[in-house]
Amino acid sequence: MAMIKAEKTPERSAPISESSVIGWLHKHLFSSAFNTLLTFVMLYIIYLTVSGVFSWGVLDATFVADNRRECYDNSLTGACWAGVIHWTNNIFYGRYPREEIWRINFGGLLLVLWMAPLWMSRVKGKVLVATTTVVFYPFLASYLFSGGDKGFFMQIMVAGAMTAFALNMANLLAGLFRSQGLNSFLIKALGQENASDKTQRNILLLLAGIVFGVAFFWQMGQTLQPIVWTKWGGLFLTLVISGVGIASALPGGIILALGRRSKLVIVRVLSIGFIEVFRSVPLITVLFMATTMFPLFMPEGFVLNKLVQVIIAVVLFNACYMAETVRAGLQAIPKGQYEGAHTIGLGYWRTMRLVIMPQALKYMIPNIVGSFIGLLKDTTLVSIIGLFDILGMLRSISKDTPWLGLHKEPLIFGAILFFIMCASMSKYSRHLEVKLSAGRTH
Amino acid sequence: MSNNPPKSQLASAASSEVMIAIKQMNKWYGQFHVLKDINLTVHKGERIVICGPSGSGKSTMIRCINALEEHQEGEIIVDGILLGKNLKNLDHIRTEVGMVFQNFNLFPHMTILENLTLGPIWVRKMNRVDAIDTAMTYLERVKIPEQAKKYPGQLSGGEQQRVAIARSLCMNPKIMLFDEPTSALDPEMIKEVLDVMVELANTGMTMVVVTHEMGFAKTVADQVIFMDEGDIVEQNEPTVFFDNPQHERTKLFLSQIL
Repeated sequence: MAMIKAEKTPERSAPISESSVIGWLHKHLFSSAFNTLLTFVMLYIIYLTVSGVFSWGVLDATFVADNRRECYDNSLTGACWAGVIHWTNNIFYGRYPREEIWRINFGGLLLVLWMAPLWMSRVKGKVLVATTTVVFYPFLASYLFSGGDKGFFMQIMVAGAMTAFALNMANLLAGLFRSQGLNSFLIKALGQENASDKTQRNILLLLAGIVFGVAFFWQMGQTLQPIVWTKWGGLFLTLVISGVGIASALPGGIILALGRRSKLVIVRVLSIGFIEVFRSVPLITVLFMATTMFPLFMPEGFVLNKLVQVIIAVVLFNACYMAETVRAGLQAIPKGQYEGAHTIGLGYWRTMRLVIMPQALKYMIPNIVGSFIGLLKDTTLVSIIGLFDILGMLRSISKDTPWLGLHKEPLIFGAILFFIMCASMSKYSRHLEVKLSAGRTH
Repeated sequence: MSNNPPKSQLASAASSEVMIAIKQMNKWYGQFHVLKDINLTVHKGERIVICGPSGSGKSTMIRCINALEEHQEGEIIVDGILLGKNLKNLDHIRTEVGMVFQNFNLFPHMTILENLTLGPIWVRKMNRVDAIDTAMTYLERVKIPEQAKKYPGQLSGGEQQRVAIARSLCMNPKIMLFDEPTSALDPEMIKEVLDVMVELANTGMTMVVVTHEMGFAKTVADQVIFMDEGDIVEQNEPTVFFDNPQHERTKLFLSQIL
């Protein structure tokens, strides 16, 4: 049977069940008698839970009290948040001297400002911004947090950090208001557009040098009160450990993963051995090893403080997990990509940096962020070896005489805090995935 | 097959200068002997087409020419440089030899323009403006300059393969290798790629092409090679090769594909 359709069939809108609210409700909640029953049972359970939590945590709760007795006098069935509120400073900053807390907040603010350009599409020179963050910020932050006398190297790094930060902020402004990089803005402002590349570069270097000089002489006159690391604690300590861990685990993991896939047998065997040993041992064991056994292997008189040992342990442990994540990402890249890169003459490192890693990292993002979240939560283990991180602080509330036995509220508060941090990380990772895959179907 | 053999439509640009010399080359995958006593000389400007059944070693052979595969015995000399373990030589040869693959192997995370300028900027140390100029010139030659800002995934297969050809040309290679460039393409896209290749042949480029497109071989090739089970079974000018194949296996193969 032959047929010819003379005209195109016109498009019609979808049936009501696909578009309206009632259609959606019917399809997803009330599609059959049994599903309707389930929906109502679930709604009832949700109501019970939420109303119970709400009346305990908010309606019947005590927010202002001087000790646990007063909480009970006020309400027997409600939460005693007064204890948590009373301890807020300790939870966030540990035993850091109260009048010096601004240094921690200032350090945090600096980091946020420093990295802000990375999220702004109009600002140029993101690679440089990221590099200076990694190279200079840790020195500035560690001096801010611990204070004391600066050695010559520290003076240079601190001045370098201030220079980098100042230029970064100027670059941010140039990007926001002029949509150009600081370098081209300055060259234009000085009327040197037509000068040779070399002259332009020299002018920029000279300007950076002047800023550095000013920063260097200014910082010589400034000394912060020394604060020993044992006073560090609370959320601050947790963020320091996990921050260093997160910043170093990825580069470390990439190096280990490349080592594991290397053609050089010794490099490969060493990498595999290192990764497998750390991965097959629980973190708590690694932490104990780092704090008790590590000093035994060191030459006499060589003393590392416990915090540094813990940070090294966390970094190594997580680099090994990261290595496996990175390796999985690398395996998702077809062999043709390496061959394509080789045929245009790119060597191993350039192939990795320009072709393979940018693609592989995209596949890895969910797993990387997963590891970061794990790392953030795992750092609470350091409370077991006697560091007063956030968990340590939360648990010591119940040992404080006025709040004796107050376990539940601090831990719930901690859980909420961790939920906020971890949920925002995973939300950001989903955003990154969408952003990176936009317009690139393959 | 007609009695009046179609004359090669392109005048040969072959000169006496030797670009590729393969002598007594042997290759094994583990115990499997893939390439057996291969001897081949390609002169400057010469266009060689290699055909043969799958698994005959033709892809492996041209992948040996730019050292994507290692050979175990014999020697390969490309543009006067002996291919060996020396990594410096390797990188040098790869910049002189362009290669186009069956699956294009474009970099999906970069725009077409970035794909084309990557090699010139990082390997040839060209400055960005010149690199973009060169890239646009070659994109115009493969007739898709308007796609420069797109990503490979947004292009059709034929367009991607033309971009891949342009990417190789941007490195200004002396030799171009094609490894079944049209095998992964839909029928209506094969022609646009072959047209670009014919044009390239017109410019006097030295080309070694693995393909089953016998029309292309007849039009362009100076020499056609038939490979089977790791041997070069027959090598001849296209007119003789197609009208009067000598070897039984060549006859069988041609009768199956023509």
